[in-house]
Amino acid sequence: MLDTIIAVDISGRHYENDRYFMVSAAVALSYSEGNIRGIEGIHVIPFSSTKPPEITDVVHMIEESVEGIGIKGTVVAERGDMFNQPEDMVKQMFRVDFKYPESMAEKLGIEFAHHVSLSSRNLLMKQEVRES
Amino acid sequence: MNDVILVQRTVPGSKERDNIRKLAELKELAFAAGYNVLDSIVQQHHPDRRYHVGKGKAEEIAGHVAELYPSKVIFLNPLTITQIYNLSELCQCEVIDKFQLILEIFATRATTSRSKLQVELAKLEYELPRARKLVSLLKQEERPGFMGMGGYEDSYEQDLKKRISRIRKELKNTIRSSATRRESRHEQGFSLISLAGYTNAGKSTLFNTLVSENVESMDMLFTTLSPTTRSININGRRAMLTDTVGFIEDLPHFLVDAFRSTLEDVFLSDIILLVVDASDPIDVMRKKLAVSHDIFWKQLENAVIITVFNKVDLVSPADLEAKINALRYLCPNPVIVSAKESIALDKLKETIYSNLPEWKRFTISLPNSDKGMSVLSWLMEQGIVHSTDYGDTITLDVEASDSVVEKAKKFVQNLLED
Ligand SMILES: Nc1nc2c(ncn2[C@@H]2O[C@H](COP(=O)(O)OP(=O)(O)OP(=O)(O)O)[C@@H](O)[C@H]2O)c(=O)[nH]1
Repeated sequence: MLDTIIAVDISGRHYENDRYFMVSAAVALSYSEGNIRGIEGIHVIPFSSTKPPEITDVVHMIEESVEGIGIKGTVVAERGDMFNQPEDMVKQMFRVDFKYPESMAEKLGIEFAHHVSLSSRNLLMKQEVRES
Repeated sequence: MNDVILVQRTVPGSKERDNIRKLAELKELAFAAGYNVLDSIVQQHHPDRRYHVGKGKAEEIAGHVAELYPSKVIFLNPLTITQIYNLSELCQCEVIDKFQLILEIFATRATTSRSKLQVELAKLEYELPRARKLVSLLKQEERPGFMGMGGYEDSYEQDLKKRISRIRKELKNTIRSSATRRESRHEQGFSLISLAGYTNAGKSTLFNTLVSENVESMDMLFTTLSPTTRSININGRRAMLTDTVGFIEDLPHFLVDAFRSTLEDVFLSDIILLVVDASDPIDVMRKKLAVSHDIFWKQLENAVIITVFNKVDLVSPADLEAKINALRYLCPNPVIVSAKESIALDKLKETIYSNLPEWKRFTISLPNSDKGMSVLSWLMEQGIVHSTDYGDTITLDVEASDSVVEKAKKFVQNLLED
């Protein structure tokens, strides 16, 4: 039986050029018995803000990128991304099922999402430079 | 000779359940180091500067020592050098703490030159912050010879520092020798299987059961084989089965590298049997599995993990099903067994067999000559010879690794060309 996780990572959570320019990437992975079987979808959304993101903003960005994927599954994001808050507390803030990564498959998923969000953000920044 | 007494100081207000678990773990560690536990003494107390436990308790321990003659007293809590000194004097017996015990275990399990260096390094790093105090204590008390020190060497601390930096340098220069060892084992037709998991999961029991039921009487071929490695036979395939140091909770920083180095064999195996105690409560199982994934993360090359739920005899089927279902995401290739009661070991062997590095089945004809016969016996060592048909030539049905197949074919070709 295949299960699905949606690994999410947000890059750009630092102040740069008068703003926080963040990119949230969600990657849906199917797995069984702890092994990744396939990549089912990817969705990336950029966010811009003048204030540093708070935990509710992070929850919002994650949920939005997950909704864009249109696949159901348990959402996984790093503890550090959620301000190191206890898992039980963070779970309650989400409308979807949420957990911190534990298995190697989940860690790999996050690593994947991390590279997607980083490279997407770089691409968008380059694009901006060109257009300006 | 190897008798010991264990001592635990518990923090007032700490959880009873945790304290019991920690003492049980210390017992397992002592056992893994080859000790026989005579007695364990627990005291709830704030740490005492001189004896760690209260003075009265320390005297009580000394009384037990005088009566039972253990070779060591092992404290669960980390001790200062002053405490070790005072306790040793009072008890007239060697006193060590849990970290020293762990170091002893690592030392017996360190098989590669790299891991031996890592363990030596950890030992020195344990001693370094205690060195100055030790020397001043010995001067004061005029007790040369304590803790293996010859005299009151003022240069002791400097010596330690020198040795540490020398080992660090050496470590940089030694490559991982286990990688080459794996190559040579593979060439000899062996796959590598490791047992891993928390202390007390049942690794050693499973090791013994698997070894006694599937002896491959070739151990004498490997004179360097450590006591925790045995060759076994899984449905005709030969494998080296290695038992490893159990994962230990809350390792202090200076022990982490040494611990990882004892796991080098695990990281490079073809198959890892991750043994889990299925009778643990589900939250404990989850935590232990998550830590195991942490330890393996980014370290494995080709290893397939098989999750072995052990001690099924202690769990009701419904309970077990619920646990496995909830923990599925952490459990690659789950198999349910009882190592002690030999339940479902065939299923385990089946799973191991189907995950071994792939071997090919091929037919080959050898000249019916001395040379042909020597190739045949070589193939019997390297692979599985399913059938032999003697005629003008010897026709074999063989199963072996790619490299063996290649070598055999080349050999025959050369014979024909001669
Ligand atoms: N009931 C039951 N007990 C078992 C089973 N397998 C192991 N045990 C017991 O569990 C305890 C620990 O087993 P070991 O094999 O020593 O565990 P280990 O994982 O090697 O532990 P360390 O050597 O400390 O790393 C022993 O008391 C075993 O008798 C099993 O299948 N069923």
